[in-house]
Amino acid sequence: MLRLWPLRQVAKVQNVLGGLTQIATKSSQPVPAPELVEVFIDDKQIFVEPGTTVLQACAVAGVEIPRFCYHDRLSIAGNCRMCLVEVERSAKPVASCAMPVIKGMKVKTDSPMTRKAREGVMEFLLVNHPLDCPICDQGGECDLQDQSMAFGSDRSRFTDNAFTGKRAVEDKNIGPLIKTIMTRCIHCTRCIRFASEIAGVDDLGTSGRGTEMQVGTYVEKMFKSELSGNVIDLCPVGALTSKPYAFTARPWEIRKIESIDVMDAVGSNIVVSMRTNEVMRILPRLNEEINEEWISDKTRFAYDGLKRQRLTTPFIRVNDELVPTDWETAFVKIAEKVKSTEHASIAGVAGKFADAEAMVCLKDMINRLGGEILCTEESFPMTTSGQVFGLILIDFRSNYILNSKIAGIEQSDLILLIGTNPRLEAPLVNARIRKTWVHNEVCVALLGAPVDLSYDYQYLGDSYTVLKDLTTGKHPLCQALSKAKKPLIILGTDCLQRDDSHIILNAVRELSENVKKTCSNKDWKIFNVLQQSASQVGALDLGYQPGVQAVKTVKPQVLFMLGADAASFKRQDLCYNATIIYIGHHGDYGAQMADIVLPAAAYTEKDAIYVNTEGRVQIGRQAVSPPGVARHDWKIIRALSEILGVTLPYDKIGDVRSRLAEISPSFNYPGQVSDSGFETQAYKLQSELKPKVAEPCPNPIVPNKLKLRDFFMTDPISRASLTMAKCIQACDESEKNPYSKREAV
Amino acid sequence: MATNRLVQQGVKQVKPLLSVDRTEARRRVLNLYKAWYRQIPYALKAFNIPVSVKRAQDKLRELFLKNKHVTDIRAIDMLVIKGQMDLVETANIWKQRTHIMMFFKDTVNPKPTDFLSKFYEGQD
Repeated sequence: MLRLWPLRQVAKVQNVLGGLTQIATKSSQPVPAPELVEVFIDDKQIFVEPGTTVLQACAVAGVEIPRFCYHDRLSIAGNCRMCLVEVERSAKPVASCAMPVIKGMKVKTDSPMTRKAREGVMEFLLVNHPLDCPICDQGGECDLQDQSMAFGSDRSRFTDNAFTGKRAVEDKNIGPLIKTIMTRCIHCTRCIRFASEIAGVDDLGTSGRGTEMQVGTYVEKMFKSELSGNVIDLCPVGALTSKPYAFTARPWEIRKIESIDVMDAVGSNIVVSMRTNEVMRILPRLNEEINEEWISDKTRFAYDGLKRQRLTTPFIRVNDELVPTDWETAFVKIAEKVKSTEHASIAGVAGKFADAEAMVCLKDMINRLGGEILCTEESFPMTTSGQVFGLILIDFRSNYILNSKIAGIEQSDLILLIGTNPRLEAPLVNARIRKTWVHNEVCVALLGAPVDLSYDYQYLGDSYTVLKDLTTGKHPLCQALSKAKKPLIILGTDCLQRDDSHIILNAVRELSENVKKTCSNKDWKIFNVLQQSASQVGALDLGYQPGVQAVKTVKPQVLFMLGADAASFKRQDLCYNATIIYIGHHGDYGAQMADIVLPAAAYTEKDAIYVNTEGRVQIGRQAVSPPGVARHDWKIIRALSEILGVTLPYDKIGDVRSRLAEISPSFNYPGQVSDSGFETQAYKLQSELKPKVAEPCPNPIVPNKLKLRDFFMTDPISRASLTMAKCIQACDESEKNPYSKREAV
Repeated sequence: MATNRLVQQGVKQVKPLLSVDRTEARRRVLNLYKAWYRQIPYALKAFNIPVSVKRAQDKLRELFLKNKHVTDIRAIDMLVIKGQMDLVETANIWKQRTHIMMFFKDTVNPKPTDFLSKFYEGQD
């Protein structure tokens, strides 16, 4: 496999040398840096790193070469021949994607020979490609269509003399997400390379040669990967298309809205395609620092859950039955309840999809009413002692974010995963680790369940004693940790949901601090937390308490639930006559339990801020309007505050955002992430105040999501999604398939 | 204060639109009012408007009184010109029934301005 650098790195070198080449062109004798190779693209002189391909050199020179099989992030196959270019003193045109540059090479990208070669390749491809563009889902965004218009011949010599029809290939069934029409396949092998290199699932491959060549899984089985949907984007033709999206929309009739995903805490950048006030599909948007150009299957396919189980009108519980009502009645009802309760007994719980604006509004409203208890559903050790009193861990941001950032994983040389299964908790973080593992030879060690991470790792076991050994330096891995230049310790949040979570966190902090002492790189951040819910970091930034423990202790009389659907507490945990007010978009656990239900907007229906696990503030954009009389979350709370007599001073979303920035300046810089500080100080305080550590419970430190099946339905949106249900069904069926790879655990 | 005086001087020196003084402007307004007043029965009949003559006359009075705060002679003249145009269009039946009904605007709800009513209406 020929490894190449991505184009952007070539461009970077070019930028650095920009000044140099300018001088070179000015003076009579060009003096490039000695290690660079001089090439001429269409008589334009450029200097590139040795080992660069002709195609990349052309890109640097600003000439785009047509291609089907070449992809920036995949290895080079060189089998489509579309990128043929003429090179001077070469008898035949050469495949530019696979040909490294040679000193003094003169490339002609628009010569008659090049053009003839392209036209020929195009003709051969089209001879074996069906003429079904009108019923093809790729129509309008198809590379083959575009390039045949740009580089193909204007007429066809193809005549089916024997009336045998064009080449036809049987369609494959590779699961509920990807539709295959293999007759359309042009054998670029991008999907195969993606599966084996990036997804790490070596399921796809080719069989046969020449006309008989077929891409598929050899035996019928599911393409079992959490990143499988990306092959749809990679396929340059309509051979692999989206099953849920099939025949629903055309690219020229949809509007594209750039937004942020909330299915996990990674905050993948997405493009929401909208038509007639409906989300038609979700595609990835390039962001090198977060998701590169991939997204997980849940992000891509759970959107049909946005149309089912929706709350479209307010409800009030009458005789144990939720009855539809209007906003005014619901508000008045809430006001009656709030007036008749002691104000300190009002609390709020934010769920995993809560946006920062709504959370700050809810917090301000409840504080103005006199309530103090605001928490998130997901637990995180608040104090070193596990008691309510103790050093507040969440006062330091470095204690709960992924300090070294997602892109920082690539620099690491040793990764220790504790109590996490990044493949299912944050598929794109896992893809980064795999990328590092493939390209940079990183060592990965795992303390937790022996799950399939799509790369090899050293399994340390799942008991607390291993962690203890690591902190005391008895474990054999400690040597490697101390020798590593840039070690990473990534702590999952599943193992922090239990009573002894503070002990685990303390141990991991201690271990990180020990490693830091021996680490040569003092600026390198070792301790990282991999959060799982999109709201958690934002909530902690805004001063919410993690976990519903406070609610269970205080037993409030009025409880506001901001999309809290994880069933983290029951009605029995509250005061016996408690009133539960649910603000959210899906009829799920929260709404079921509530006395008053207020319909809000889902993430595609509002302009909202989310903070990802790195602490990166990102703004999602509204693609469609909320259904029925549902309103934006922060507006509901703002309106309610007026009814309750504690009017919040926010009339526009800008006012709320200024308030956010007042609380945490990071909200002023969307898209950016600042380095977290005070790690050493935080640890110092922590170790000084170190309480008597209670005995950890003997349960193993394992994540909750073990198999791919557990990945699909984790939240109200994906629970309402038909596609996700089909995925689970397909996973169960694939268990019975004797050819399907057994998942570990 | 000084600017106020300057502005007043400027206004005084400006070229008249139709009337040179307040008396003349007032006469024009009254003439227009009378012309409309006389036209009302015919207009109601011609457009088949489901409104009594009395109510139409009240509406006419109301619409004139709506501008009673206007003191600038040029502004008064401009309003008179507009009213005159409306009258001609009505008399010649260049307008349509809905245009006449627009004077009454009974079905138009005022747009909400405060946050809460905007919220209930679902308007941003």
